[in-house]
This record gives sequence, structure tokens and C-alpha cells, in this order.
Amino acid sequence: MRVLRRISQIAVFLVFVFLFLNTEYKDNDILPYAVNVFLRMDPLVAGAATLAGRALISLLWPALAVAGATLLFGRFFCGWVCPMGAVLDFADATIFRKLKRRTKLPANLPRLKYFILFFLAVSSLFTLQMVFLFDPISILIRSLTLSIFPGINMAINSLFDALYFTNIHAITRFSEPVFSFLKDHFLAFEQPQFRLAALVGSIFLLIMAAEYFQKRFWCRNLCPLGALLGLLGRFGLTRRRVGDSCISCGKCERDCRMGAIGDDFKSTNRSECIECLDCRSVCPENAVHFIGRDKPELLPMNMGRRGVITSLAVGAVAAPIFLSEGYRKVSDPSLIRPPGALSEDKFLDRCTRCGECMRVCTANGLQPALFEAGLAGLWSPILVPRMGYCEFNCTLCGQVCPTGAIKRLTPHEKRKTKLGLAEFDRSRCIPWKGESNCIVCEEHCPTPEKAIKLREEKITTLSGEVIKIKRPYVDENLCVGCGICENKCPLTGYPGIKCTSRGESRAQGAELLTTDEG
Amino acid sequence: MNRRSFIKTAAIAGAGAVIGPSFIGEALALDGPLVAMAKGVPPGKITRAAVNALGGMAAFVRKGDVVVVKPNIGWDRNPAQAADTNPDVVTEVIRMCLEAGAKKVKVFDRTCNDARRCYENSGIGPAVENIKDPRVELSFVDERRYRMVDIPAGKLIRRWPVYEEVLDADKFINVPVAKHHSAALLTMGMKNVLGVIGSNRAVLHREINDALPDLNRVIKSHLTVIDATRILVANGPQGGRLQDVRQTKTVIASADIVAADTVAATLFGKTPKEVHYLQIAQDADLGVADISKIRLKKVSV
Repeated sequence: MRVLRRISQIAVFLVFVFLFLNTEYKDNDILPYAVNVFLRMDPLVAGAATLAGRALISLLWPALAVAGATLLFGRFFCGWVCPMGAVLDFADATIFRKLKRRTKLPANLPRLKYFILFFLAVSSLFTLQMVFLFDPISILIRSLTLSIFPGINMAINSLFDALYFTNIHAITRFSEPVFSFLKDHFLAFEQPQFRLAALVGSIFLLIMAAEYFQKRFWCRNLCPLGALLGLLGRFGLTRRRVGDSCISCGKCERDCRMGAIGDDFKSTNRSECIECLDCRSVCPENAVHFIGRDKPELLPMNMGRRGVITSLAVGAVAAPIFLSEGYRKVSDPSLIRPPGALSEDKFLDRCTRCGECMRVCTANGLQPALFEAGLAGLWSPILVPRMGYCEFNCTLCGQVCPTGAIKRLTPHEKRKTKLGLAEFDRSRCIPWKGESNCIVCEEHCPTPEKAIKLREEKITTLSGEVIKIKRPYVDENLCVGCGICENKCPLTGYPGIKCTSRGESRAQGAELLTTDEG
Repeated sequence: MNRRSFIKTAAIAGAGAVIGPSFIGEALALDGPLVAMAKGVPPGKITRAAVNALGGMAAFVRKGDVVVVKPNIGWDRNPAQAADTNPDVVTEVIRMCLEAGAKKVKVFDRTCNDARRCYENSGIGPAVENIKDPRVELSFVDERRYRMVDIPAGKLIRRWPVYEEVLDADKFINVPVAKHHSAALLTMGMKNVLGVIGSNRAVLHREINDALPDLNRVIKSHLTVIDATRILVANGPQGGRLQDVRQTKTVIASADIVAADTVAATLFGKTPKEVHYLQIAQDADLGVADISKIRLKKVSV
């Protein structure tokens, strides 16, 4: 039976990787797979987004299915489905295989995950959605997107580049076909590069490193999704039961990756058991079953009243503190959200920082925010035009957002959506300084009637010469703030044209006026 | 034109050593380069007619040649929007190369928008793949493969990285689409070579009229086939508005890239004098920009 569970974990993980690799433009304007399905079946994400956003989000129906299945069958998700769990189990079976864990951890450590869950629930209720910090699926996809995948990509590229530049035919005739195969099937089309990649990646590595102390340290002690599923699955039908043939050898208790088995070896902490079936496999007497007539013995749940109340209170207090941050009063002009993003408050209520939109962004323009949206907006997606622009005809970010924080737009709607507006820096722009013509921004401007207009003007140069020069202007009614002008501006350092969120379609009050000026 | 370049031009014209392969002899007999201008439908047919008017592809491509066919795939636009070369023109040129016995036909462009989107939505990617011939190789540009090329006579550019495949090919066939461009006024064959160079090409737009002749000194187009099946007359080079597109149903071909561009400019009602880089190119002996000296062969299909 344990084999079945392992097969399930591997199969689900392969699906997960397949979907991750296909969260990319592949000659198709509509992604053919529901690449965000793992996030959409996450009841923690669904609960937080629904509570904080005060809206039923139809995208999230798979989470209801998982919640329902958990009610019936317990916390099986963690043992059989969760890709983060699979990664940790894999680490245990490889890196930590020979490790003898000696550190004694406090017995009430597992309570922590419930406190985190309660904190998240209350803060969400008060419209502060912090689930992004702790949701395992979001953490995993975000880490893969922002750091691990770009890192692997960089390593493989460097290796094959090094081989390529040896210029030795005997080497390149073999290395290049392998490289192009990898490029076609696994590597990114262009090397992805993200701000904060190292920071995001190190959090994931810390979760891995915690396996040093305990198997499934994260799942046992910290994971709020596990806590939620544990609570939901408490009364499920499949439960660990121990028959009379038990000889109390204690093998099951020593082997349990979740520490879910009581000291008598017969009782089980129902909320901790992830039904991995290891206890059933290691039992020399075949005494352990999960279905059957034996009566399951349950350990009482003891969270400690003080801890529960504290976590609830922290959630309640954190919300107003975060929400009164100055960033919310005056929005940072570089806070350019993806096309179709909801208004800022609603956006942050729903965004779980999973990184799907950044992963799928064709020009690598969507980047994780640092403090542009306040601390509560950490890692949320913003367009950084100098790094990458928004492709005019692309609608992929809205297709992959699991919570609808970014609306799904039709190509027509997308082309009409303003992310912001471009503005010339006349002290830097080449023709504005009177140096020479340039027009690179105008050439790249994607609106069918160009939003950047050129006007030939007679100017006197610093040396007194009178010359004619084509000076660029932004027609703010046409500009959609895609940022390609800023991206392609040939100046090094600060660009001569800059996009800000001014005039964005989603701005509050934008719907009141007939003009587009925000 | 200064005295030296005049003498040079005269000498070259006299000696009959204008750039281009075998048929040039025939053209010179009547003085000036031959430009074929085919009008009609469908695009593939007039493409073939234009090249045939120059003596057929065999006049340019020899058996066993490695040929680069360089369309404009610069933008994420569809064929009707006239920002990229018509896929039917591209595939017809490729087919003619294959018929002439090319060993390999390589197709690529360094795009402005996301390359995958450009290849796909321009229709050129799927159309070229549809030829299904192992000799045809459609690829994305590989950033490692630029080689620095000196431009000794360069007015603006001293050296610039150029795509290796172009430098190593036996023949380079330039297949641009003719359209409006606010810096160059018009973009046609000479501007299309910007798609085979590396580095920050945006800086070249400041002095585009000098940059284009400089680049064309070292990137020689053995044949230029200009797609003017429909042309973009405003909001170029990217377009997007069908009202800016004119159905001109024309393909222009020549071994003389300057002459081909000069003839294409007339479709926009421009004289070569207005398109400054054509004049500069002529002065640099890159070809003929004087419409009266061009032998124009019109074909209707």
C-alpha cells in the first residue's frame, strides 16, 4: 500500500512539473492546460482569498472538492498529493537518508501551524491577506519560478555555452544537439531573471534544511494548509486502527513521519496523520489498518487556549497596522500592475504571490515587488519595464492567475487596458536634449495609432546651430503603459521615457470620467 | 557626390563590375541594374515571376549553396497588418532556392517583440515549417553566434557584430516588406539587414541614414526580393491598423539592393532623394538610386 502512495506522489509531482514547464507561451495565445490547478485546489488559498476578498471566486471550485474529500478521507492530501510534501519526502529519501536525528524538539511545536492558520484566518477576515507567506503551494511555485528554475536554466546554459566556446568540433557536434533538445523541451526560451530571486529561493532552502531536525518539519509544525486539512479531516472515515495482534513493538511510532502516533502505539492524532500508510507497512503483525471494524483510538487535540487566543489577537491587530501603512495612502508610481489586475485593495486580498503570472510573462517584465506596495504587498507582481515590457497582444497572466486577482481579458480588452502612462524625461531623452533624432520608442510603440507622436521642431543647439529634429510626445489617450518604450530606450542608466501607474485603467475613480486621465 | 566617388562610380559602371551574379552582364548591356516588378495575385506567383524576370533563381543560387533567406519577422502582427513579410512570398523564395539546388536554406530574424510570438503570428513560422523539407532550417537567433566585423569604410560604424550564419552563407537573400518608418522614412531591403546584427542596434537609429549604408557595405544581399503585396503607409514599422495598409499587389526583385529599394519607394510616392540613405548608399557605390538609370522590367500576372 505504501507503494501506491509513493506512485501517487511521483505521478502528481510529474504532473506538477509538466504544468510548471507549460506555464509558458508556446505558440498559442490561449494556454491549453489549466496550469494553475494546484493553486486552485488549495483550500487555504481559496479560504483566504474568499474571506479577504469578500467574494465567491468561481475559479476556486477545485479547492471545494479537495475540502470535501478531506472531510471524507482525512488529511490524505499531504501524504498523497501535495508537491511540497513530495519534495520533502524525496529530500529525506536522498539527502537526509543516513541522518540520525538527535535534536529533541518541544512537544508542542506542532501547535504552531494552527496558530499560523488562526492568524491567517483572522487577518484575512479583516482583509489583510498574508497567506502568501505560508501557503506551501504558493511557496513552491514561487520558489521554482523566481529562483530554482532560473538557476537551473543558468547553470545548464553556462555549461553548454562553455562547451560551445571551446570551438572544438568533436565536442560541439555532441553538445549542441543535446542543448537544443533541452531548449526545446525543458529550458526557458530566454534566461528568466527576477529581482529578489536569492531571497525567495533561500526560504525554500530553509524549509528543506529543516528536515535536518525532523522528517516533514514544515508539514508537522508550520504548514497552515496542513493545519486546515487536519481540522477538516478530523472526522473522516479512513482512520488508523490497530487490531489486537499488536505486540507494542513501537516500530510504527518510531517510523511515523508526522509524529501522529501516541505513546501506546494504538492511538492516533487524527489531525496529524497524513495517511502515508508507513505504519501499516512496517507493522510486523499486520495489525494496522485504515479501513476495517477495529475501533480507532483518537488522541485528544490540545492546542492550548492561550496560544489560540494570542494568534487570533495577533491576526486582528496585524490587519489594521499593515493596512494603515503609508504605501496605501500614496501609491508608489512604479507600482504598475499586470493588465486586468483588480483595484489595489482587492488585488492584494486575492494575490497569493504564487508567481504564475511572472512565470508566464513573455518578456519577463513582471517582477516581485519589494516595498512598492507596502510590506503586505511583498512579492506581488509589478511590471518593471526596464527589465521587460508587457506584450501588446499577450493575455497570459490573466489566464494563469488562480484567484482572479488578475482578470482574464480577451485580446481586445487587453489592448484597451492601461497599465499606466509613459512620460518623457526631457533632460535625458536624446531628441529632447537636442542631440539627434532617435525614434526608437516611437518605432516600438504597439498601439495601432501610435501613442508616441513625433513633431519636427527647429531647435538651437548649445553651439548655436539651428537644426530640425523630430521630438517625441506621448498621446495619453492612446498610451496603454505597456512599457516597451522604456524597455527599448537606447540610453544606458535611467531611460529617457518612463512608465508609471498614473492613468491606469483600474485606478479608483477612473470609471467616473469620460477621458482616460487618472 | 564628390569627385572621387563620381569617378569610382563611372569606372565601375564602365568596367561592368556592379554587385551581383551572372545576369548582370545582360543588364549592363543596357546600362544600369535590372529591377523586376511583378504585379498581381497571388503573392507566391508574383514572387516567382519577379525572380524569373531576373533570369530565375538559378542565376543567384548555385547547386550546393548554403542560402540565408532573411524575411522581416520583427513584429507580433498578423499578415494582413503588413508589418512582417508576407509568408507566401517567403516560402516561394525558399522553394525557388530549393529548386535551384541549394544545400541548405536558413531562415531567421532577430525580432523586436517576443520571437516566438513574431514567428507564429506573422504566419512565417508555420508557413516555413509547412514546406517540410529537411534542407529548410527555421531557427531563432542564437545570441552566442555574432562575429565582430570591421567596416573599414564606415562613416558612422567602425565595427559591428554580425550573425555568423549570414557571414558563413554562400548566398544572402534579403526578403523585406516595404513599409513606413519614421526614422528611415521607409524600411525596405537596406533596413532589413538590421535583423542580422547583434548588440544594441537601437543606438543606430540616431544616424540611421549613415548606419544603413555602413552595414550594407559588409552585409551583401545577393538578391533582394521586396514584398509589397500590401504596404504599410503610416504608423510603421509596426502598424496594426488596416486603414494604414494599401493593397499594392507587387513584388520587386533585384540583385541591386539600392535599386530595388529605390523602385519600392516609388510605391509610396517618394522620390529616392527623400530617402536619404539611398542617396548615401549610391554615393558609397552600393548600388543605383537614380530611377532613370534603373532598367525596370514590369511583369503582370
